Amino acid sequence: MLASLWNLVDHNTKDQFAPLQERIKLSLPPQKFKSVGKPVRRNEDERLITGRGRFTDDFSLPGQVFAVMVRSPHPHATIKGIDVSAALEMDGVLGVYTGADLAADGLGQIAHNPVPSTKYDVKLTGRGGTPVYIGEHYLLPMDRVRHVGEAVAMVVAETRQQAQAGAEAVMVDYDPLPWVADTTAATAPDAPRLWDALPDNVLVDSIFGDVKNTDTAFAGAAHVVSMRTHLGRVTGVPLEPRAALGDYDAKTGRYTLYAGSGGAVRQKHEMSSVLGVTPDKMRVISFDVGGNFGTRNRAFIEFGLVVWAAKKLGRPVKFRADRSESFLTDYQGRDLVTEVSLAIDANGKFLALRAHNLSNVGARCVSLSPLSKGSGLITGSYDIPYATLHSRAVYSNTMSTQAYRSSGRPEVTFAIERLIDKAARELGYDRIALRRRNLVKPSQMPYTNAVGSKYDSGEYEKNMDRLLEIGDFAGAKKRKEEAKARGKLLGIGFANYVESSIGTPKERADLIVRPGGVEVVIGTQPAGQGHETSFAQVTADLLGIAFEKVKITLGDTDVVSAGGGTHSGRSMRHASAVISLAVTDMIAKGKAIMAASLNIDPASVEFDDGCFRSTASNRTIDWFDLARLAIALSPDHADGVKVRRDNEMHTPVFPNGSCMCEIEIDPQTGGLELLRYATVDDVGRCINPMIVHGQTHGGIAQGVGQALWEGCVIDPESGQPLAAAFTDYGMPRFDNMPSFVTEIAEVISPTNPLGVKAGGEGGTTPAPAVIMSAIEDALLDYGPPDVSMPATPLKIWTAIHKGKSA
Amino acid sequence: MSRIAMKVNGADITKDVADPTLLSEFLREHLGLTGTHVGCDTTQCGCCVVHLDGVSVKSCTVLVGQAAGHAVTTIEGLAEGGQLHPVQKAFRECHGLQCGFCTPGMIMAATELIATYPGTLNEHVVREEMEGNLCRCTGYHNIVRAILTAAEEMLGPDRVVQPASDHAKTEG
Ligand code: FES
Ligand code: FES
Repeated sequence: MLASLWNLVDHNTKDQFAPLQERIKLSLPPQKFKSVGKPVRRNEDERLITGRGRFTDDFSLPGQVFAVMVRSPHPHATIKGIDVSAALEMDGVLGVYTGADLAADGLGQIAHNPVPSTKYDVKLTGRGGTPVYIGEHYLLPMDRVRHVGEAVAMVVAETRQQAQAGAEAVMVDYDPLPWVADTTAATAPDAPRLWDALPDNVLVDSIFGDVKNTDTAFAGAAHVVSMRTHLGRVTGVPLEPRAALGDYDAKTGRYTLYAGSGGAVRQKHEMSSVLGVTPDKMRVISFDVGGNFGTRNRAFIEFGLVVWAAKKLGRPVKFRADRSESFLTDYQGRDLVTEVSLAIDANGKFLALRAHNLSNVGARCVSLSPLSKGSGLITGSYDIPYATLHSRAVYSNTMSTQAYRSSGRPEVTFAIERLIDKAARELGYDRIALRRRNLVKPSQMPYTNAVGSKYDSGEYEKNMDRLLEIGDFAGAKKRKEEAKARGKLLGIGFANYVESSIGTPKERADLIVRPGGVEVVIGTQPAGQGHETSFAQVTADLLGIAFEKVKITLGDTDVVSAGGGTHSGRSMRHASAVISLAVTDMIAKGKAIMAASLNIDPASVEFDDGCFRSTASNRTIDWFDLARLAIALSPDHADGVKVRRDNEMHTPVFPNGSCMCEIEIDPQTGGLELLRYATVDDVGRCINPMIVHGQTHGGIAQGVGQALWEGCVIDPESGQPLAAAFTDYGMPRFDNMPSFVTEIAEVISPTNPLGVKAGGEGGTTPAPAVIMSAIEDALLDYGPPDVSMPATPLKIWTAIHKGKSA
Repeated sequence: MSRIAMKVNGADITKDVADPTLLSEFLREHLGLTGTHVGCDTTQCGCCVVHLDGVSVKSCTVLVGQAAGHAVTTIEGLAEGGQLHPVQKAFRECHGLQCGFCTPGMIMAATELIATYPGTLNEHVVREEMEGNLCRCTGYHNIVRAILTAAEEMLGPDRVVQPASDHAKTEG
């Protein structure tokens, strides 16, 4: 029996999405779009190019003081005592606080809620179906430190320099403990244990899929190809270091937290629960956010600490991480080990897949998304009838991991795509032909894969063919020969991908029509994705007004009452859906207002193309006339005609695409140059192609960075992280990145009113696979290379020389 | 403490500041010019680039005393008479920014590059010359285009080679 991953009734029919489309009807047919689909220049830019952005550290409050953290130098140690007396004597120091002070004030833990729980997320459990053990996460620990950089105390002083000096003077008595950082080593029965309540470090151990049929398929297969991969630990590196400014108003008893994040509403609820106050006592402000990529989606301990200290001291308290603190203690990403096998018949048809995924969650479990998101996609873009998956997660003495750009998907894409390359090589197939033979076909859509994910739509083979064209795959052979003549090794990498966008299912929009313009208040939280522009495009077209008339309001929880934030590529889809619904409500409300104000039959009022008309009157009015009429009609409309709409949308969508790159290796040095990089990405309806292309570019850079340069390396002797500055952590830069050729394919998703999929993560998802595929292709003459990521020149050079001597 | 006098965005400024104050800190915290950003502590990100007598400097690595008596231009002072500078315009036009955090430093560095580079500007030169500025959002692609677009406006088409078209289907 197929144990479906998804807790849903499976009507695998062509029109299974019809009821949803019915429910959320568009107020205008797509051919009437004027702004949607155009590369409209961004509303955000004017302030950002003139230095008037509002990032967290740009805010200063009168009387503010500065917080600096005292951080653990040990990967694992018991805290025997903390002596703050010397620090308290220092110039300017106002307070030194430890976990004991927080406990005395009754502060709670951060409730990260790490187990994904929408009805389309895989159901991860502990061993034998037990609940997942989540270790405690207080703002400051009292018992022990579990990773290098974990904060154990906070010093607050008049100036930042004084707080830094104070932090130097805090004496912490540590008793070092054995530690483990490596993902696989952490699962060993005798590995040092992070949590006393867990018999070992494994917190998730679940099996999905159809074990019996997978076993049968493997037993009867002509070929079985296997590999083991590790997508290593990286970090998000948003260029704005994380920061927080806390304030407390003793008169109202309200806290205000300025802190850039992936969603102010979420942070408001998390921080009020830590402080033990009702959410209305907490206001969170998050305007411009200097990059997120997932790593800002979970609350940082400093957020709670600054607001708490602001109350204690009666002064606003500010924190800004140094870059080295960001490298050590921003939530990190990836770190997934996969063992994967593919059963193939004599004709090259894929029969079944078996995978074991192991995710390193770090010292505290803040999110299992990297494990769960990939789990539903292990069969990739291919029609593989049976699959089983063993998913595990393990604690280790490292910083916690979180969903980092395209969480979980680059990992599984890497596994299946690299495995197919290997199968082609070992079995003598052309790698494109082998893919073509097995791709899911448009006629199979919607397609339920072997672990129960229902791919909504897509034309995978068409993407692949178009990519081969724009990447000039046909000319590659000639370019390879030319490179060889110059003493260089040219390699072509190739990968397909499919990913899922799920995310928090609820979103709210407040739509307000005033005589001067329209405002939409919504609870997503961009960090460069241009919501103030693309949401305005959608709103303008659906209402039938000019783009310039729409203003999008985000990021202050006193204005934004609810909202799911921005992650998992959810925002455009959720926003366009809830805005569509709000517009539908607003049109109904508009008809009623016109009827009441002109004293005519509401049934006689029609709306079309931005105007209300009635057969009972010769008046034709637009939205702004309507707002004027409404104000005259009732004081209820004094601040505009308002509609509040909530929407809940669970059905995931499956963006997909193809990607290739061309690299050249200098065999003398192992140095690598990226020559070409091309992608085709099906994002569903594309609201703003300029923004979507930009998302693809940035996504590519992050994926390529992982393959070639980035890594949160830990010294195996000391447990010390070695990458704590831009000097140690390799970044994509102007001079190591190429220009890109990116194309958008729009296969409209049937799951939501505008047919949106997602555009933020497709650049990243296939990138590590495509780069390693190219390196392998370049080095084929030296035997299949064994190069791990990041593929540095030294590793490539070594592979060449090993190959030579073999 | 020292009394520091300098010109900032054309205005004369005099302030008493502690000697170890960095120029970036002085601009942000003493003058409220928060357009200059700080993204690292090792002089490597370029978010803090301002012009000191017309030359790009990383203001996180300049002591305020070193700037005393000189003229500083920040992102806030680049637009003249309410007119955006061509580099500012080109960043918007070419979508050369996403989160906008690296943008002030990028724009200041690019402005000086275009104003002072003696030869022909092309993609390769821009990528080499701008290497001291990091961006995490854009993959640099559109920043390169923004800089070359502005360069063409400022220097004329003879001094600039534009990169090949990049999107198979795009830009509306
Ligand atoms: S702040 Fe990074 S170089 Fe100045
Ligand atoms: S636009 Fe975000 S860092 Fe450059």
